[in-house]
Amino acid sequence: MFEVRFHGRGGQGAVMAAQTLAEAAVNEDNYAVAFPFFGAERRGAPVLAFTRIDAKKIYSKTQVYAPDCVIVLDDSLLDTIDVVSGLKPDGMVIINSKEDPDDIDLGISFRTATVNATSIALEILKAPITNTAILGAFAKATGLITIESLESSIKEKFGGKLGERAGERNALAARMAYEKTIIGTSRGIKKLESKKQWLPAYQDIPIGGALIEGKTQAGLIGPGSFIENKVSGWATFRPLRNKEKCTMCLLCWFYCPEGTIIRISDRGDLMTNYDYCKGCGICANECPVDAIKMTRARS
Amino acid sequence: MKKVITGDHAVAIGAKLCRVDVVPAFPITPQTLIIEHIADFVNNGELDTKFLTMESEHSVMSAAAGASAAGARVFTATSSQGLAFMHEMLYAIAPLRLPVVMANASRTLGGPPGIWCEYNDSMGARDSGWLQLYVEDNQEALDMIIQSFRIAEDKRVLLPVMPCLDGFVLTHTVEPVDIPSQEDVDSLLAPYEPDIVLDPERPAMIGTFMPAEYIMELRRQTVGAFECAKDVIREVNTEFAQKFGRDYGGLVDTYRMDDAKIALITMGTVTSTSREVVDELRQKGEKVGIIKLRFFRPFPCEDLKKLASNLDALGVFDRSISYHGGGPVYNEVRSALFGMTIPVINHLAGLGGRDVTEEQIFKMFELTSRAAKGEKVKEVNWHNTRGETV
Repeated sequence: MFEVRFHGRGGQGAVMAAQTLAEAAVNEDNYAVAFPFFGAERRGAPVLAFTRIDAKKIYSKTQVYAPDCVIVLDDSLLDTIDVVSGLKPDGMVIINSKEDPDDIDLGISFRTATVNATSIALEILKAPITNTAILGAFAKATGLITIESLESSIKEKFGGKLGERAGERNALAARMAYEKTIIGTSRGIKKLESKKQWLPAYQDIPIGGALIEGKTQAGLIGPGSFIENKVSGWATFRPLRNKEKCTMCLLCWFYCPEGTIIRISDRGDLMTNYDYCKGCGICANECPVDAIKMTRARS
Repeated sequence: MKKVITGDHAVAIGAKLCRVDVVPAFPITPQTLIIEHIADFVNNGELDTKFLTMESEHSVMSAAAGASAAGARVFTATSSQGLAFMHEMLYAIAPLRLPVVMANASRTLGGPPGIWCEYNDSMGARDSGWLQLYVEDNQEALDMIIQSFRIAEDKRVLLPVMPCLDGFVLTHTVEPVDIPSQEDVDSLLAPYEPDIVLDPERPAMIGTFMPAEYIMELRRQTVGAFECAKDVIREVNTEFAQKFGRDYGGLVDTYRMDDAKIALITMGTVTSTSREVVDELRQKGEKVGIIKLRFFRPFPCEDLKKLASNLDALGVFDRSISYHGGGPVYNEVRSALFGMTIPVINHLAGLGGRDVTEEQIFKMFELTSRAAKGEKVKEVNWHNTRGETV
């Protein structure tokens, strides 16, 4: 059995990639399954998806803990997530990155392939959706499926959903990535910091799961969220408020799903805490006087 | 035709193949894809059905009752809080003997709020009069929609059926599914033709006020239908197996039980993962097997008694908790096996959607085997739970 784990962010198409890989494998007379793992949050949040491929029927319905291959759709995840966790020693890492594999530091040395899937996606698809391009890199780096059967699965899956032309363009993105993929070995220099977690025993979890501001093993915790779990990295856009236009109607304050808009009562003003703003744009959408504009966050 | 599809998609295709007349719908994660796919079928002209977007799940079940009483074949789907919200109307459907089929995407019923798989949503409806079944893969999900209508509409049964599929583990997982042809499904499932329907031309009353003089008899009658359902489930399974080549065993299915001394009762997708564990234990010479509890209502007391008679110990997997101690399946099993002396050990795992790994299932077999040898083992075991030891 060959097991693949996809790391992406909500909206990049990791789930579609996992499903398309399963379809391509089935087209080559294998059995395959693919499934996502979602957290509670959506667009921009780190997501996982898995694909299992085997010659015979697969019965295991658990998550993948020791993958043969890890696919990273967004290299900004390398800073916060240990993507190689559990990867088999002879496993393979495939990363969407403009760097050469030999320049990538995963904290451990693995066979690694890179391709600049974002630039291919922007060129061919006019959008930074990298899932089909990265599958082209998978075909090249592992040889587990042929680029031809991948192309036909992409045409079928994406064509069926988004129209024939979109299917063909996505197949072309996979082909271009296939040709541009570089294979090498990652470096193992940086120290991996494992994510802080607070996992109390049932005797220690606060009654009813009620949380007040205080210290846990994972750091500060406050109502609604881990205070230290900043999400600004998820945002592609962030809101900028024009104070001249703003009438202080407070609709943005009311609608913000994360409570990141704070009323400064003594000045009759508002401020946004960008540490916890995911850039969803609801505030800009709700503003009746067009005082909030969404601007590129990482420019 | 083989297609690589999600469990939700498989359920929607199953409903389409049953030519459902009315689908009252309200979306809820992880059931939403079922409703979306059915909406697509209606929009594309692939399915001629009355698709009603309702304002709540309570209204969904009310519309389902009305449409079914008017003679329509009714399908819907829900999950978790949605099922809880329609609880009042669930109780109206069964005594009126309306054969509605509703898929439930098993999801933890908050609080605390969560979206992942647990059976505390459907277990709370276990005495509402619905037949309840749990599937282990997407193929079974599709096949059981077809079988559910056949069972529900059988004149000896006339009860609603709730096929449950594990939230996310099936609803959002793609795997190859063999899709039956419309012709084959039509030959297995004739159009629904009830004897009494709400029709202005021929006035009838369904669901009227009923004083105490009648209710004992009506309840007793419904129990009779539950008993009949056991035979009908087995008959439909046999007929389905002959036509499609897939035999699910009836109320329970078994895996490597022929000479088994230790067995684990499983439900849903944990059955599937357990098959791999049993294969591995069998290679080491251990006489272990699986009893897959497919139907929770009606509860297969006779099948379990028969299967348990050759065992040294029995483990029972539960994916929800009755707060007095063990899980609901455990309590039913113990009641069914009353008078038998083998140890029956409860294994709680996967609550709130926690992944039930092979490692945990190995542990379930190990503990059950130790109980068989007379070692002291806790009756109720919380697997992979911080602060508990197993």
